[in-house]
Amino acid sequence: MAILELDNATVGFGESHRRYTVLEGANLQVHENEFVAIIGFSGSGKSTLISLLGGLVLPNEGAARFKGQQMSGPGPDRGIVFQNYSLLPWLTVHGNIELAVKQVFPKMSRSERRDYIQHYIDMVSLTGSEGKRPSELSGGMRQRLSLARTLSMQPEVLLLDEPLSALDALTRSVLQDEIIRLWEEDRRTVVMVTNDVDEAVLMADRIVPLTPGPAATLGREFPVTLERPRDRTTLNFNPEFKKLRNEITRYMMAINEEAKQLRVASELVLPDVEPIRIGVA
Amino acid sequence: MKYKIIRILDVAGLRVFEPVVLLCYGEEPREQLKKIGLYIVIPILVMVACVIAWDLIGPRIKTRAGEVPTPAQVVTAYDGIADFHKREYTKVADYNIEGEKREAALTKTQEEIAALETDWEAIAAQCEDLLESLLAKVPAEAAAKKTEIEEGWRQLVADLKSDQATATDAARRKFAYVEGISAQFVSASLSKLSDAVTKQEQVYKKDQQARAKDLVAIAAKIQADDYKQKVAYVHQVNDHLAKTGQENDHLKSLRAELSERRGKSLPQVEDLRQQISKTGQKAEFLATRVNLLTDGNRQQKIDKAQAEMEDLKRKYAVASGPEMFGLAQQLIQREERINTIATSEFAKPPTFFDQIWTSLKCVFTGFFIATAIAIPIGVFCGMSRVFMASMTPLISLFKPVSPIVWLPIVFFIVGAFITKPDEAWVQPSFLSSAITVALCSLWPTLVNTALGVSAIDQDHLNVARVLRLGLWDRLTKIIIPSALPLIFTGLRISLGVGWMVLIAAELLSSSPGIGKFVWDMFNNGSSATFAQMFVACGFVGVIGLLLDRIMIVFQRMVSFDGAPTGL
Repeated sequence: MAILELDNATVGFGESHRRYTVLEGANLQVHENEFVAIIGFSGSGKSTLISLLGGLVLPNEGAARFKGQQMSGPGPDRGIVFQNYSLLPWLTVHGNIELAVKQVFPKMSRSERRDYIQHYIDMVSLTGSEGKRPSELSGGMRQRLSLARTLSMQPEVLLLDEPLSALDALTRSVLQDEIIRLWEEDRRTVVMVTNDVDEAVLMADRIVPLTPGPAATLGREFPVTLERPRDRTTLNFNPEFKKLRNEITRYMMAINEEAKQLRVASELVLPDVEPIRIGVA
Repeated sequence: MKYKIIRILDVAGLRVFEPVVLLCYGEEPREQLKKIGLYIVIPILVMVACVIAWDLIGPRIKTRAGEVPTPAQVVTAYDGIADFHKREYTKVADYNIEGEKREAALTKTQEEIAALETDWEAIAAQCEDLLESLLAKVPAEAAAKKTEIEEGWRQLVADLKSDQATATDAARRKFAYVEGISAQFVSASLSKLSDAVTKQEQVYKKDQQARAKDLVAIAAKIQADDYKQKVAYVHQVNDHLAKTGQENDHLKSLRAELSERRGKSLPQVEDLRQQISKTGQKAEFLATRVNLLTDGNRQQKIDKAQAEMEDLKRKYAVASGPEMFGLAQQLIQREERINTIATSEFAKPPTFFDQIWTSLKCVFTGFFIATAIAIPIGVFCGMSRVFMASMTPLISLFKPVSPIVWLPIVFFIVGAFITKPDEAWVQPSFLSSAITVALCSLWPTLVNTALGVSAIDQDHLNVARVLRLGLWDRLTKIIIPSALPLIFTGLRISLGVGWMVLIAAELLSSSPGIGKFVWDMFNNGSSATFAQMFVACGFVGVIGLLLDRIMIVFQRMVSFDGAPTGL
């Protein structure tokens, strides 16, 4: 049974007379312990999709289910790592995690909680920065803190909203490995949104493209059968990797082109007229 | 260490001094010196220039309370205020002092009184010196006058001796004599000027008469139908009148100068007069101290009353018959009196610093009332659009109402609740000032809190949603910390407004505080109190500045990177 399920879900914003439909008829099934990557162009409604899976946004039509139940709101069992970190700037590294831990595990004793928080700080290699505030951290450190906060809630599903897009290439690859390692360690269900095909192929079990918006929907799925652990240095020479990457890229380009044409056709309705030459038989 | 100091300066809002610190650590000395010059030396120079301008312009502005005081006079006025404060507190201490300490204080005071003797003698000597220097200026032809003055002095000295006058008396009488003589000298030195004025007056009068006569003569020659001539004649008469006006103005200014110079005594005489009044005040103060240390002392009074009581008790013990009634009554009365004395305090008039303290208490009372109202309402406004919509008309309506309007209204309402001001736990005037402060100063906090709460980052709210925080946790853990920098911006503005309003409110409602001090000084209307008003003005400014700085420190402490800035 799918742990997360979108059933013909449609999400739109704005009032009826100028409604903007972001997602239309999206279908997705995420199974337990699966790593799904959702890939799409910027502005195609990826963040809305993650919000929908997390319960922050409820579908206007169709259904979003978690463990077979219709979702009514967000919760700590679906941990979201937000694109812009969403750290609380007035709290320290420790305090940011503590806020989540206190809420999710209210019965934990003081010393237990301290060790627990320290464990997650160590896990994302932020040891020594416990007393720092988010403004004193680099982009990569903030993203790691955000990840640690979400993981500390021990969510059943981890929803990653372009977690690495704001980072430089080196930090990015380090964090990619980190996320894979964490996933492999305790095999959670992960849904990651990204705009990087290589990243998706490297990390995911299954890749689902999102067609360009407005009214985006989920396209054809690509299973990734590459052997794990995947080594990024040798992967570039792996024919299967190359094939898959090219295939997805080509597909993405094609649906983008199609969308463009559709958009042009719908926006510019040319008059159906022909020039007339007077006086010429 | 260096960065720690800079960080402290930054939080305290004293970044101007950063180059000084860096210079001490020898970092880019040229750059730092340039910055010090630009941001420290130039402002100081501007300050100095302002003080100099004040010193020059002030005395030229004449008011009904005398000239606008110069900086030096203001400093003297401050010394007077500080002296008064110190003396009043010494008196309080003297009243309460007991036992050996009292005796020690008494001995010391008496020594000081003895030392005053030399002060008076010094003043008398100065009087004599002044007289001599005046006499030295007497021209040879007025020798008779000189002898007369010297004779008068000798007579005075002899009188003092035969009267066995005290040093105080001697100094005062000698001064009175010298003062009279110096006044004669002043008017004598002005006789030339006054003669000149009289002469000028006569010259002008003669001129005017001559001109009028000429004009009459010209008029006689003009034909009745010669309009051209007639027009020219009018011009001539006009010229005459204009000239007469100018001459009269000149005379007026000469006379004014003369009377001003007559009114002024010699600077040495003024100096002596001030010395005498100062020494006299000190003598009076020391005499009061002696009284408070002896008969006026609380413990002394109690001791005395108790001794009398013992007497009475003894009498009562042996008494019999109807006289017992009277004795018993007296006993009870004595007992009550002792209790009153034991709990009594020396009735000290409030000094300037007491007034400042009262004002500070009042402004903080008002400020806390304002905060207690404004922050909750602001938070609700920020959280609920409906609440905001329903509060907006009220806020816009009451925000611009001036403290001058609030005060009488509040005064009446507070008066309705506190009908017996003497028994109330708080003075009604204090309370109405505080409430007026609150009513005027709550708006910046309210508006900024509402803004801070409504401008909260949607991402932070999403975190709260994912964590399923309850309303209270959401409020205390997400919303308020996020809005805190703006709330403090509002509080800072509120405190500034409150301080400004308070002085006006005190001035109007005569509730104790700096405002009342200024009002009292205004009603006194002498040039000395005029200078004291300047002192009060300076203190109001300095305290306002300090309050603002304190609030800046708080604001910096709760601020975080990317926090929204205030309105």
